Amino acid sequence: MYAYVVRRLFVGVIMLIAMSLVTFVLFFASPIDPARYACGKNCSPELREQTRNALGYDKPVIVQWTDFLKGIVQGRDYPDDPELRAAAPELVTHCPAPCFGYSVVNTKTVNEEIKEAFPVSLSISVAAVVLWLFFGVLLGVMAAIRRGTIVDRGIVAAALVLYAFPSFFIGLFLLKFIAIKWELVDVPVYTTIAEGGIGGWLSSLLLPAVTLAMLYMAGYVRMTRAFVLESMTEDYVRTARAKGLRQNKVLVKHTMRAALTPLVTLIGLDFAGLMGGAIITETVFNYNGLGKLAYDANTTNDLPTIIGLVLLLGTFVILANIIVDMLYAVIDPRVRVG
Amino acid sequence: MFKYRKRVLAASAAIALAAGLAACGGDDGGESSDNPTGDAAATGEAGGTLNYLIYAPIEHVDPQRIYVGRDITNFSRTVYRQLVTFPISTDPEVSNTPVPDLATDTGTSEQGGKVWSFTVKDGVKWEDGQPITCEDFKYGASRVFATDVITGGPNYLLSYLDIPTDEKTGLPAYNGPYKGDGQELFDKAITCDGNTITYNFKKPWPDFPLAVAGLHMMDPYRQDKDQGDKSNFQIFSNGPYKLEGTWSKNKGATLVRNENYDPATDDPDNIRRALPESIVFNIGQTTETIYDQLIADSGDAQTAVTGQRVPPAYYNQIEGAVADRSSLQASPYVDYLVPNFRNMTDPKVREALKVATNAEAWINAGGGEKAYAPAESIVNPAVVGYQDNPAFSGPQEGDPEAAKALLEEAGVQTPFPITFTYPSSETADKQAAALKETWDAAGFDVTLDGLGDTYYDVIQKPNKESDVIWGGWGADWPSAITVTPPLFDSRINLTQNSDGQDYGAYKSDEFNSLVDQAQEAGTLEDQTAALQEADIVLGQDVAYIPLEIAQFYFLYGSKVTGFTTTPASSMYPDLGAIGVES
Repeated sequence: MYAYVVRRLFVGVIMLIAMSLVTFVLFFASPIDPARYACGKNCSPELREQTRNALGYDKPVIVQWTDFLKGIVQGRDYPDDPELRAAAPELVTHCPAPCFGYSVVNTKTVNEEIKEAFPVSLSISVAAVVLWLFFGVLLGVMAAIRRGTIVDRGIVAAALVLYAFPSFFIGLFLLKFIAIKWELVDVPVYTTIAEGGIGGWLSSLLLPAVTLAMLYMAGYVRMTRAFVLESMTEDYVRTARAKGLRQNKVLVKHTMRAALTPLVTLIGLDFAGLMGGAIITETVFNYNGLGKLAYDANTTNDLPTIIGLVLLLGTFVILANIIVDMLYAVIDPRVRVG
Repeated sequence: MFKYRKRVLAASAAIALAAGLAACGGDDGGESSDNPTGDAAATGEAGGTLNYLIYAPIEHVDPQRIYVGRDITNFSRTVYRQLVTFPISTDPEVSNTPVPDLATDTGTSEQGGKVWSFTVKDGVKWEDGQPITCEDFKYGASRVFATDVITGGPNYLLSYLDIPTDEKTGLPAYNGPYKGDGQELFDKAITCDGNTITYNFKKPWPDFPLAVAGLHMMDPYRQDKDQGDKSNFQIFSNGPYKLEGTWSKNKGATLVRNENYDPATDDPDNIRRALPESIVFNIGQTTETIYDQLIADSGDAQTAVTGQRVPPAYYNQIEGAVADRSSLQASPYVDYLVPNFRNMTDPKVREALKVATNAEAWINAGGGEKAYAPAESIVNPAVVGYQDNPAFSGPQEGDPEAAKALLEEAGVQTPFPITFTYPSSETADKQAAALKETWDAAGFDVTLDGLGDTYYDVIQKPNKESDVIWGGWGADWPSAITVTPPLFDSRINLTQNSDGQDYGAYKSDEFNSLVDQAQEAGTLEDQTAALQEADIVLGQDVAYIPLEIAQFYFLYGSKVTGFTTTPASSMYPDLGAIGVES
């Protein structure tokens, strides 16, 4: 198991390095000049050149990329200007290792940006996962054990309808009608536990989490139903019933355990994807999580932030895969990693 | 699209037209507010919390880096006082005439506008109670030169202040206060004698007070508070409000009373009434969400104003009682087209393009008269010395037949292929299609080339394939010197690698010579006359084709009092006058 995890982590690091290089190359292949954006209006060619130098965009892409990698290991100073460091060291920002870069647009290190945005995305994601898992699995199991009844058909149809609505529609609907027009809840503003206590934090998550949960829940209802139905036809389940075990015990101990295995994979990957930012939901509700940070970075050509977020999301997905593989072994004794 | 400040010391004709546009908008369809022209005499109530709703994050709150009209005026009225500033008034002539703020008067000039002096008032203080000194103004100006650290702000001082140019970099030999290179040159160019600060320029700057009032580049800055780039989101106030906590780029901030602000050193009635007890800048909600809340008039939206324009899809919801809370005024911005002079070399072809341009169809496709007003020059009517450009007077619905005749005269093969490049959006695509219709009917064969984020990078390339290019502009201060020269002076724009802001690669010795005349003029009158003549040359050459003036159509909450937009506030809500029911 240990060797397996180390091997997977090593491959993951190689993948992240490759991802950073691809992001660099793609960014510089675009016709957008980040120096023009930073230089502002009435920017003369001389000023633009100076801005390009100050941002480090005058260096070859490969040099910028290796500087970036060095920053992850050693940390970096911004601006990387020895003359300024000597004359006015207090103006230089030190970004300690692992340094993902410095956002000129937001005037802070990417690490600081991620540190601020991460709790927002984590909160929304956890709240959404709890909601969709609870209702998705519950409704999926209900549909499976009442297969063919009106309950089953009603749940499956509702899931299909929900699945057809994109998250921006659900989000806008909830915001426009539930919060603004009918004033059933306040217009959501992200509130930390320190600011509003547990209650304030939870209520601030309600609409964004419901938006995400409705989207994912629909898929989980259908998948849970399918997995449970499949498990119910297994020989060992029939055997359990034949032994006279109660229906609830058969369902929970035998059927659900087998049905959970593929769900764990999905949960892990979906959660990891959400942790990289629910771009649409965070943008609709103006929640400054990783998704909105990514959206803003793209619209402002903020390369350091883009790269930092690409690597962060990549890390989440790689780690989630490893964790899911390990959980497989815990849930299903037939599976052995390595 | 660059949407920056423009305001104006208007000539009488300009005032008449601006007022006309305002009245036209205000009376439209019964949707004028109870205060349609933003009557500054109608003052708001004191107390309460005013909410200012903003969609996109503010890029800079550092005074030397602020360069967006809405932000310039918001901070002028709240936290950043200036040597001179523009007063609250709906009369452009009044609103665009600088009045003393931190200075005792509006400045004195010598040597034909090459030397300007101001005396700082006694008793003016920073938020920590320390006095604002002449040295603070000098230090503030020095930051403009640190262009490798203080990026993105207005840089006019670099070309005006009497500091030699470094031949190697093409930039001033002084590089700001941080590294110290060339400090002695700067110390000669700006001097302090007691409370009197003197600026020495290498060329006349007759409208310098307008520039001081129109931007924050000349604002004072306390050296001990300067953290370079790290100061980008820090506010150290000298106005009636100060920052509570920190400024969050993506969330905004709250401004509360500054106890060290002394209204006796200000002119509260005319500059800063400072009515709300606090002002909350709420950043990040989409324009649609902002308008959903304003229309519903729910919660904090009752005490909210915004600088976001009503989206065309919401026009039909602004009726009845909601319309009483609306304001429709002409903005300081003009949108225009430029022919690419590298490709469209024949003047008759350019003339045909102009004649065939259906600006009315463009306006209608973009939302009609609530979205745009007709334009007859690239210079906004509110700018000092505005005059209609005779090349663009008359009907603007396009005349395909006349254009066809011009193309025949030019002897070019028709259909004449052209590519129209513009920043793509759902609305802009419709507008471009509307233009294409009459251009095609005139004998052009138009390819629409809508671009996304790459727009400005593409149109600035000398080897672009575009034949007609869209642009948008507003004056930095109420003078055409900040409009036509930056956009059409080939000497400052065209280089081997870039066309700068002269997207059409227009090059004219006659125009450049008139720009020189304007820049060497010792008086505003002489400068204005040269710029008026320069605009006529641009019209004759069809260097541009005006499309429209964007309309500022705003809604505000029912508990907002004294809602006012003024030329001083670039026609955004003027926080100097607005209050809320407390």
